[in-house]
Amino acid sequence: MRSTNRVQRSRVIVASVAVVALLAAACGNGDDITDEPEVDVEDPADDEEAIDDEVAVDDEEYDITLIPGVTGDEFYVSMECGALEASEELGVNLDVQGAPVFSPTEQIPVLEAVIASGPDAILIAPTDVDALQAPLQAAVDAGIEIVLVDTTLSDPSIAVSQIGSDNFEGGRMAGAALGELMGGEGAAMVVNVTPGISTTDARGEGFIAELEENWPDITFLGQEYSDNEPAQAAEIVSATLAAEPELNGIFGANLFSAEGAATGIRQEGRDDVFIVGFDAGPAQIEQLQEGLVQALIVQQPLSIGRQGIEQAVAALRGEPTEPQIGTGFVTATLDNIDDPDISQYLYRAQC
Amino acid sequence: MSELTKQDEASQVDPEDASASPRKAWIKLLTDSTAFIFLALLAMLVAFTVLRPEAFATVNNLRNIAIAASILLVLSIGQTFVIGTAGIDISVGSMLVFAGVAASLAMAEINGGQGWTAVAVGTVVSLLSGGAWGLVNGLLITKAKLPPLIVTLGTFGGVLGFAKVLTGGINLRTVPTELVETLGIGRLFGVIPWLVILALVVMTAAAITLRFTRFGRYTIAIGSNEEAARRVGINVDRHLLKVYALSGVLAGIAGMMSLSRFANTTIQGHDTDNLQSIAAVVIGGTSLFGGIATMFGTLVGVFIPTTLQNGFVILRIQPFWQEVAVGAVLILAVYVDQLKRRARDRL
Repeated sequence: MRSTNRVQRSRVIVASVAVVALLAAACGNGDDITDEPEVDVEDPADDEEAIDDEVAVDDEEYDITLIPGVTGDEFYVSMECGALEASEELGVNLDVQGAPVFSPTEQIPVLEAVIASGPDAILIAPTDVDALQAPLQAAVDAGIEIVLVDTTLSDPSIAVSQIGSDNFEGGRMAGAALGELMGGEGAAMVVNVTPGISTTDARGEGFIAELEENWPDITFLGQEYSDNEPAQAAEIVSATLAAEPELNGIFGANLFSAEGAATGIRQEGRDDVFIVGFDAGPAQIEQLQEGLVQALIVQQPLSIGRQGIEQAVAALRGEPTEPQIGTGFVTATLDNIDDPDISQYLYRAQC
Repeated sequence: MSELTKQDEASQVDPEDASASPRKAWIKLLTDSTAFIFLALLAMLVAFTVLRPEAFATVNNLRNIAIAASILLVLSIGQTFVIGTAGIDISVGSMLVFAGVAASLAMAEINGGQGWTAVAVGTVVSLLSGGAWGLVNGLLITKAKLPPLIVTLGTFGGVLGFAKVLTGGINLRTVPTELVETLGIGRLFGVIPWLVILALVVMTAAAITLRFTRFGRYTIAIGSNEEAARRVGINVDRHLLKVYALSGVLAGIAGMMSLSRFANTTIQGHDTDNLQSIAAVVIGGTSLFGGIATMFGTLVGVFIPTTLQNGFVILRIQPFWQEVAVGAVLILAVYVDQLKRRARDRL
């Protein structure tokens, strides 16, 4: 009898804790991600609403949800910052929802819940060109405007706009930057992430195309995959250096690939090998400042997020939209990193 | 028939065996704990409904939750049997991916990857390849006497590696339109998704097997006390082999479901399926130490994280909180499991 009571009491405790946790979580929202606390859009008497209404160009306040490819990634956080800035100016209620893994299996349930919550528009970086097609069609059928940011779909015509950087072009810029660092001669390789990711595949292809066309005296040693593990990238690079001592240029197609490549070079005690990395989060900037990496190809996620919101709002107001917007790249080096023309594009870990 | 008699002996002869202690008493406690977790799920459903009725409590949204849970449910059913024997299967997600890859490759050979023949062949290949890897797990555990955690940790990496070797790491997209349009997005009477129906049929069959057949009783007996089960004449090795193979076959079914839902092999998308299924099984009330297993609990256990995720998104809660909440629920569930065991041991 005593034990039964105990079990029952503990059940009550457990149930209460669960409910409290749920409520705490519900109240804890809004501090970091949304620009204002969760307020009823329908409630015009609210002070904050009133202030926003004055700022807003249009009387109507739109609910827009941004779904990045993965949460907690500096590229996508920067995109979020850009979207947030534009949202404040345009009187948009921005919410950000995403999955911790870059995969359609994780993203689709999030997207479906977002659709159920009924925003006016969705900005999404689809994690698969085909798998996201049908769920996004369902959003369109529910009367939600779609803007594709960063990545795209097999049939992007369901979206009012698609905004992203041309990663092939980014790869070409990496090839050009590395070619110059190497003085136009020697041997180069690519340390890529894993095959099958459209963006990093395109970077590798662009890099190879640039070397073939414009750098005839550089031998291309091939492309290897790090599986996004710095240790694996380091192994690949030190093994390649042992086999091909003339190697003096490496393109690390993402953060960990470049970081591992730098480790591999240090292990072999070489200081004449140049590395070009991709993206400009705080970790990459540190690599550049420490001299592990000599140049970074920088995308413009802030601009992608900002223009995403602008296009969505235009569509909601019935104004014309631009079906495709390509954002450019800049090449950051130790010499120009403090230049506002470059530093404005560096990624942020938080807004 | 003779084995059935042995099983009956198992529950009568050996007074030292925990599973032989008053069955009714622990079945009652077991149902109680499942009832508790079911109430927790109901509380969540009510809370989300009250907070955002127009968005959460719609047919469409509840249907989406059910679809999102269906693939994980099939994996978790196999996991329930495995954990019921006091084992663990870390490799379920990798077997799922491998089965999908093998099926996709096979289907590409038939009629250019279209038509019902391709679907049939793909299904057979998927179930066989899943089952084969499950058998490998089972053989290593029973014949090489390696701990299940280590064996399936090895195959978790190895099987996914093999899948990537077969495709060069690239997601395959050969999935017959017939499959996508029926199992993938089709619905019975335009209402109930086929994915959900398939998962529920598998679950019902598994629940009956666990509760009312010799296979189910052996599973629980081995999980309660492997040595006692061996002594009363249960062929423990053969049974464990079957259980791990079953987990593989179910991963094969889940592989076909995943193929038809996502229309590609989603190689990168199943790294955490193992942990998710283990969490679901344990949240549902199946004991991580074996000997107690409940399919209904697993059903509820799968729905709790899925519902939390959906509800949190609808309430516009920062996404990271969902991971926190699921972790908290898991720990609470194990805590309840411990209380339950202590209570049982005092009886």
